[in-house]
Amino acid sequence: MDASFLDLLMAQQEEVTEAEGGGGIWVVADVVNGEIAPVTLEAIGAARNLAGALGAYVYAVLLGDGVSDLAQTLYQAGADGVRVADHPSLASFAVEPYLEVLTALFQAEGPEVILFGATRQGQELAPRVAQRLGGGLIEHVTAMTLDEATRTVQAAVPIYGGEYFEVVACPQARPQVLTVEPGAFPMPFIDKYRKGEPRMVEVAPVEPRVRVLGPAEGFTPPEVPLAQAPVIVAAGRRAGDFSLVERLAAALGGRVAGDRGARDAGWIGADKVIDLRGVVVAPQVYVAVGIRGDTYHNAAVENSRFILAIHPDPTAPIFRLADLCIEADPQEVLPALLSALEA
Amino acid sequence: MRIIVILGRVLDPRGIVVNRRAGRIFVNREEYILQPADRCALEAALRIKEANGAEVVVLPRALLPDDDILRQALARGADRAIYIAGKPMPLPDDGVMVRVLKAAVERLGGADLLFTGATTLDTGQGQLGPRLAEALGWPQIVGAWTAEVADGAVRAVQRDGSGFVWVEAPLPAVVTFVPGALKLRYPDGRRLINIYRNVGEIAAALERWEAKDLVAPEELAPMLERRGQEFPPERERGVRLTGSLEEIARSAADALRAHLPR
Repeated sequence: MDASFLDLLMAQQEEVTEAEGGGGIWVVADVVNGEIAPVTLEAIGAARNLAGALGAYVYAVLLGDGVSDLAQTLYQAGADGVRVADHPSLASFAVEPYLEVLTALFQAEGPEVILFGATRQGQELAPRVAQRLGGGLIEHVTAMTLDEATRTVQAAVPIYGGEYFEVVACPQARPQVLTVEPGAFPMPFIDKYRKGEPRMVEVAPVEPRVRVLGPAEGFTPPEVPLAQAPVIVAAGRRAGDFSLVERLAAALGGRVAGDRGARDAGWIGADKVIDLRGVVVAPQVYVAVGIRGDTYHNAAVENSRFILAIHPDPTAPIFRLADLCIEADPQEVLPALLSALEA
Repeated sequence: MRIIVILGRVLDPRGIVVNRRAGRIFVNREEYILQPADRCALEAALRIKEANGAEVVVLPRALLPDDDILRQALARGADRAIYIAGKPMPLPDDGVMVRVLKAAVERLGGADLLFTGATTLDTGQGQLGPRLAEALGWPQIVGAWTAEVADGAVRAVQRDGSGFVWVEAPLPAVVTFVPGALKLRYPDGRRLINIYRNVGEIAAALERWEAKDLVAPEELAPMLERRGQEFPPERERGVRLTGSLEEIARSAADALRAHLPR
């Protein structure tokens, strides 16, 4: 089909018109660097799925200074209505000014479900909104279904960082407030031809009680012990150039460690040897570079959430444990991997 | 000055095994530890007590079957601990606990600061601090790394993007701490022995209140309901990447990005 004809057809789509009567599913938008955060669009997509089963409309709330132009992005992601609170007092996130606008709006509209991104803004605002409105709050939601009989959202929340999920619901309290984990829901189709007329919300400026004094010069957070580090890049006897291992750790925001071979090569100290006799780890990401994987090493890393192993020997025992295996010389793989991570 | 610290406990994850295929959780060693973020809150309170002089009062973040974590806090230097007795809830239900804790704070005669953890190890919940701030009408600082008190205000270091900033709130205020921010001191041996043997002055520092005396029974009804458990699919180990070096590197980079902590 001719693309220009398709464009013409789509462009004839009517503007989104809002239904009156309150209720609905509301998404509070996060604005990052002048753009709508991806988690907000994901939340709108998740809200649309719920809205179909619930027979409700999806609304989005946009707060900030000079953010009115972003409202169309929310319509394009699937919002049926958008409320915009555009005021200089909302230029940067602060609890009290945002909270006053949101609670006044929600008290007037009576939402059934409110979604926030599980971001700093969402994690500070959602509990206060829930508390002020007498609602229940489920945090870090990764999946949602609907109990249609009671119009209750059933949400899966990760336990111990995702070892398993508890499905919980808040059947009694209304509104149901949820924070949505970034990346947990698919990005919705962005319909560039969908548009609407946002409604402006009156903003009465509120002075925030928490003041930012300035940068904390010289403050360095305490170093996380290796055993608790979320990302570890470990070198072994076949790692080759150790500086590449250090660069990979820096690119991943992780800690450098190694096996006994790395210690023997003088790359790491005894306190960084990952081994049953040394440090036992369970990071979210473990990269084994040139580590063959003897019994003691493998037992010390087996509880890692994701293991990438790079070793030239296809019979290396580490490959039986790793989720992803690269049978190649680390000296060839690491430069390419670093380039791919920087891309 | 009075600092209230809300402490919780969590089942030590090293003692549990999740069998994804069977869809079951096996508890091999039922050992409870202090919530890591709450440990930092306690340490921050004890440091302010040493620097400025304060009474540190410890309250539980849930209705617990025992008072072990409160005894641990007393052994580390807390002045007073209040065990709130009541029927433990099947799920951590901060919406309900905030009613109990607000009543407890009021019964204590208020406070200048309320410290707790910004997140829990098991469920990742961080709503208790902000909910309490809202219930008490206090300002909140969420995710502090350290805190100090001066001139009627609390100053705390908070992460801001890739850096750190000082923020300030007038007293009274709620401050929540990130896990790993501060290392909790070891218990004092003499206090530890005395609190577990219920002897000496420290034994009188542990009080017992009843939840039903703080709030009406209907306010203790759980808000949250468990509807089931889900288990992620079993891990497929040993997947070999093939293709050109660039293709392999790109696939590996995508997989790493997908698994990195957010």
